[in-house]
Amino acid sequence: MRFTSLIFLATTFGAIAAPLSYNRDIRPILSENCFACHGPDKASREAKLRLDIREAAIEKEAIIPGDLKKSDLIFYINSEDEDEIMPPPESHKKLTQAQKDTLAEWIKQGAPYEAHWSFIPAVRPDVPALGEKHPIDNFIKAGLKGNEHEMSQPADKATIDRRISFDLTGLPLHLTGTSDPDKLLASPHFGERMAVFWLDLARYADTAGYHSDKVRDVTPYRDYVVNSFNKNKPYDQFVTEQLAGDLFKNPTLENYVASAFNRINQVSEEGGIQDKEYIAKYYAERVRTTSGAFLGATMGCAECHDHKFDPFTAKDFYSMQAFFSDIYEKGAYTGHGSYNKGADIKNYPGFKLGKFGPTLNVPSPEQEKALVKVQEEKRALEATTQKDSPELLSAFNKWTNDLLGKIGSSKPQDVVILEDAELPLGGAKTVTNNVHSGSLARIQKSSELTQHIVDANKKPVTLTEGDTLYTWVWLDPKNPPKQLMLQFHGKNWDHRAWWGEDLIPYGKGSKKADHHKVGKLPATGKWVRLEVPAKSVGLPAGTKITQLAYTQFGGSVLWDQAGRHTNDSNAVLAGLSEKPRKALLSVKKGKPTDQDRKELLTHYRTIAPSLALARKKIAELTKQEELLKTSTRSTLVTLSTVPRTIKLLPRGDWTDDSGEVLLPAAPEFLSSEGQPSKERLTRLDLAKWITARENPLTARAFTNRVWALFFGTGLSRDLQDLGNQGQWPTHPELLDWLSVEFVESGWDVKHLVKLIITSKTYRQSSNASPQLMEADPYNNLYARQNPRRLPAEFIRDNALAISGLLKPQLGGASARPYQPAGYYAQLNFPKRKYQQHNDENQYRRGLYMHWQRSFLHPMLAAFDAPAREECTAARESSNTPLQALNQLNDPTFVEAARVLATDLVAKEKAIKPRLQVAFKRLLNRPPSGEEETLLTELFNKQLKRYKATPDDAKKLLSIGLTPLPDKADPVDLAATTTVTRALLNLQETITRY
Amino acid sequence: MNPLLANCLNRRAFLQNSSYSVGSAALLSLLGQEQATASQWRGTLADKLHYPPKAKRIIHLCMAGGPSHLETLDYKPELAKLSGKGMPTSFTEGQQLAQLQGNRNKLKCLGPQHEFKRYGKCGRMMSSAFPNIGSIADEIAVINSMHTEQINHDPAHTFMNTGSIIPGRPSMGSWLLYGLGAETDELPGYVVMTSSGGGQDQPIASRQWHSGFLPSKFQGVQFNSKGDPVHYVNNPAGVTRAGQGELLETINQMNRMLGYRQNDPEIATRIAQYEMAFKMQTSVPGLMDVTEEPKKVLEEYGATPGDGSFASNCLLARRLAERGVRFIQLYHRGWDHHGGVKKGIETVSRHVDKATAALVKDLKARGMLEDTLIIWGGEFGRTPMAQGSGRDHHIQAFSLWMAGAGIKGGTTYGSTDELGYAVAQDGVSVHDLHATILQQLGIDHHRFTHKFQGLDFKLTGVESAKVVKKILSNS
Repeated sequence: MRFTSLIFLATTFGAIAAPLSYNRDIRPILSENCFACHGPDKASREAKLRLDIREAAIEKEAIIPGDLKKSDLIFYINSEDEDEIMPPPESHKKLTQAQKDTLAEWIKQGAPYEAHWSFIPAVRPDVPALGEKHPIDNFIKAGLKGNEHEMSQPADKATIDRRISFDLTGLPLHLTGTSDPDKLLASPHFGERMAVFWLDLARYADTAGYHSDKVRDVTPYRDYVVNSFNKNKPYDQFVTEQLAGDLFKNPTLENYVASAFNRINQVSEEGGIQDKEYIAKYYAERVRTTSGAFLGATMGCAECHDHKFDPFTAKDFYSMQAFFSDIYEKGAYTGHGSYNKGADIKNYPGFKLGKFGPTLNVPSPEQEKALVKVQEEKRALEATTQKDSPELLSAFNKWTNDLLGKIGSSKPQDVVILEDAELPLGGAKTVTNNVHSGSLARIQKSSELTQHIVDANKKPVTLTEGDTLYTWVWLDPKNPPKQLMLQFHGKNWDHRAWWGEDLIPYGKGSKKADHHKVGKLPATGKWVRLEVPAKSVGLPAGTKITQLAYTQFGGSVLWDQAGRHTNDSNAVLAGLSEKPRKALLSVKKGKPTDQDRKELLTHYRTIAPSLALARKKIAELTKQEELLKTSTRSTLVTLSTVPRTIKLLPRGDWTDDSGEVLLPAAPEFLSSEGQPSKERLTRLDLAKWITARENPLTARAFTNRVWALFFGTGLSRDLQDLGNQGQWPTHPELLDWLSVEFVESGWDVKHLVKLIITSKTYRQSSNASPQLMEADPYNNLYARQNPRRLPAEFIRDNALAISGLLKPQLGGASARPYQPAGYYAQLNFPKRKYQQHNDENQYRRGLYMHWQRSFLHPMLAAFDAPAREECTAARESSNTPLQALNQLNDPTFVEAARVLATDLVAKEKAIKPRLQVAFKRLLNRPPSGEEETLLTELFNKQLKRYKATPDDAKKLLSIGLTPLPDKADPVDLAATTTVTRALLNLQETITRY
Repeated sequence: MNPLLANCLNRRAFLQNSSYSVGSAALLSLLGQEQATASQWRGTLADKLHYPPKAKRIIHLCMAGGPSHLETLDYKPELAKLSGKGMPTSFTEGQQLAQLQGNRNKLKCLGPQHEFKRYGKCGRMMSSAFPNIGSIADEIAVINSMHTEQINHDPAHTFMNTGSIIPGRPSMGSWLLYGLGAETDELPGYVVMTSSGGGQDQPIASRQWHSGFLPSKFQGVQFNSKGDPVHYVNNPAGVTRAGQGELLETINQMNRMLGYRQNDPEIATRIAQYEMAFKMQTSVPGLMDVTEEPKKVLEEYGATPGDGSFASNCLLARRLAERGVRFIQLYHRGWDHHGGVKKGIETVSRHVDKATAALVKDLKARGMLEDTLIIWGGEFGRTPMAQGSGRDHHIQAFSLWMAGAGIKGGTTYGSTDELGYAVAQDGVSVHDLHATILQQLGIDHHRFTHKFQGLDFKLTGVESAKVVKKILSNS
């Protein structure tokens, strides 16, 4: 897709030296009052007249340049006849006299049009030469020309330091310890700060949104955003990865994670919803989000009709949808919903279909490394067990011959039930330097009762007549046990034999087979065989033994081979599972095949004493591997599959199938010749178009929003909309200069940020003179900084950081801080109860808080964090009693206050030095005398209160998970806590000036 | 004595003594802002109402889950005759169905599961399952020709509340608070309470009372029957009211000192918000404490203090109305009767019927019904077709009623076809309903707008909406 020269838009008639600017002075009037009926939307156009195109307006004689009398527009706006006047009374719009005069003057001047500023590619303007070093300052100075005002003085150092730390990391100076922009930009908290802004645009949340609002893990996407800003990923790449990471040639894990952007829209699994309806909702939302997040455009308005103010058509809207129609997804995540026809997850190795569609496991870099290591080790060990060493083969032959000798033998024989392979089960420790047979012996050490239960070899052992059960043990002469017990599980565990004193409680008191006394303990310091006839422990022939238990009281004992001594000539075969048994029989018959030998050898490897250690290690590694896999996070991902058919929906009605079929295409007025005939465009093409240097919106939208991060307002005030109904920038040349600089720097985000914050403009005082406030209440001149209340997340971070509670680790699963009980009571399918974190996750940054769309945490909601159901470019900054209640009484803040107080009390004895420390941390300044007096008064009053009611002090000091400090005086601490509560509640604390 | 009150007076003195020159616009705007917030938000339409208002406040009894119009307000004897027989395909062909979408070819009629009787002087036929609501038949105006666009709970509620299915639009209550302000500075102007019982509890998301693109101070505040009635309204453990008062006093003093040094209008606003928060700490628990109500009143409503029932919420709604709250919304989650609609209606009636009527009568007795608009209804209706022993979601037609504030009691407006499937006459869209509600508050819905993303947004959307004049006593 190439860009046109934007002919119809870019034609300028501004040749006359005109004091009036169409974009600045005229368009806002026409757009607000006229375009709704005489603008881009064909459907609502009246009298076939459009005023947004000069030729059209002239052709209809609405405007005759230079001729007021012949211009119908002038006639109608000045008419006094209710039926004639424009805008008509029913529109409830009215032109002021000043506006009428402006329009008249403009026509007199020849009625020059300009293309809408944001739809023309930005050209780098010359920096005004006004003697400032920094380009931004020159532009701001230029705006002050002919104006009595000058830029404000720089803020004092303390204020600037605090400002920069908050603005670049969202954390207080107390934690970051520096106001050096380079250091802060290099800090990992920079990415977190930027993520708070981006995640609103990307409508990132932890839950599905609609109806039951279930959790679905997409936290790796959140971390991707943090990391991308930290790595200073070029913005064009950042955009492309999110829209189309899955379409890269060889997508990396990171590319896939980025593509979750397309899948974190709200989805529904409400019973009875229609697949088609919800697919339509999802596509429409994606167009709104894509145009909103990347272009600063409101394409959503073109869902039901052509945009009334901007040249986006309904066709553009649905053509944009078509870019997303390849996304592997359902409309209804219920039984009624279905994935794209022909989509099959089997074609995407490594991906799974979860409750909400395609997902991918996302190990953290550490997990990934650990997993690779474990798997490599395991593979290596497995390879060694598969080697046919001469030693192994010789031992194998010996073992085979031994078994062969026993088969059919009428002599009583030992048949092993447990040897090395089984001994490590149950997590017991093993030794290798003192064994009876094989390579391992189990060691059990205890001062009291200890027991291990082990499974019988491979399959249950069926007893025959006259069997004796035995186990080899070695009793430590230096630390002999007081009692030993062998226990067998037949139908139950009531089969015990014991030696020594009667201390083990199991079966105690009984003299029957469930507690059969054999005799004294055997000799120590040598391997001895404990033996007991099966019958005497109540196990008659035919009983199946499934488990054995080794129990001892006190001492240190090595336990080794267990087995049965039997007359059963078939015992060897009975002890083997099917495959090796058949193989052994073949050998016995003298007709073994290669396969038989292989089977037998394979079995032998599982019991070979020489491989016991390797097997033990493999078992451990398998466990670790499982653990790593199950603790790994997963994310929804975008997968590309067979595109659904996209039709233009008349009036946005998803049930109306009559519209034309559309293929992916960028908005016509911003792209070249239209639909290329050959290949279907993809999301990758969409990303290319968005990040093309010529795209007039992308860099401006981003630059404008980044500016707003550091001033509170955009250079164009409406961060959502750069279109006709948006705002003419206060400093259009500066915005263009910055956005060209941004693109030409290689879409370098940190460069842009640094550029802004190193300007004088940024460093100005926010404490404007009353004269300046009066003259420029909205700070259109930027002759001062704006004070800004911190965003919700940073208010929390600040309190936690100041108190020392903050756990500042990056990324990971979402955190669940304290939340009022029952807050999720209105949720259902399933009903759920919030489980707060009781570990260090309680103290993570606000950015990581669990984001439940239908019931956002009350603290976040109170401080204007959006539920992120939709792309949000600007947060409100409200000031409400609910905020006050939250700051006063939320356990998070009360705990932070008391932990801060604990620290102050430990450091300083008297209240005044405590205040010094606290003020420095919170406000980066010392308290004034008045403040000191006031807070000391509060302290003294509270001291008196808590002296009278020491129980209250303890109650206050028990709020939150942090343990009550045992050293401090609770009364002093509670009174200090009230003081720190006051400090945390100050407007100055939650504002960066 | 509230130490904060004394300081309200000082604030003006502080401002006058501060470095601002008297008469400067900055001072005026600062003072203006302070007045607006210190007392309360007065609304963008304050003194500029388009009509003389009939209603001062609204109580929206939101029957969540989709009440069956066929067992409540829409009398359909013909449906009874066809009960168990196939639903004529002429009704349903090509129409959107919810959970019945898989059974399209086997749709059967389900006759009304409750008898209808004549009630009141007006003699309107109403379900006998709601005898108490029947007893106020002459107070209420029934609309039997409502229709909506959304067939599933979540988006249907969103549409009913915001007039749009796109998330992020303000709910009705937020619009009203924005335009009209509240008449209280001790309580939020928009209060939401929920209760359940009578059917499967459909989730209700807080977006239903969200302020969307309006500042968050206009969002509904949920009052809870368990725990803190409003989040964080109670002092932390170990903090007494007097102790908390000292704290707040200090905070505000400190903020005032900041105000001397720093030119920031938010400081004055913050001070006012802390004052209101402190008041709320008393007024909210006071409001919620219904033990002071006479026993007789509790009995009339059927309320047991603290039980979180719809009955208790109705009583609280009256108390909120008395205290100047602008918009009170009670959700009762109990109307989603996919199966067992007969029994379900009986159960939900036990929760809802008595208290609803008691509220209307109580308000009337107190002379408040004439300026309180009551709206009773759900997000959609239910199918005349059976879904087992229940009914599926239905958007072609449903019923609701309104009472008080210029509503002509005893009227019945609009009608459905003989089976209650689609609107036959005088359809009323959700936007029409909103236009009518706004009209009663003195607002021309065309002229009540807020600019967002460059557009003038209205509660009633882009399409033209009409006021349902026939149910209004002034027409």
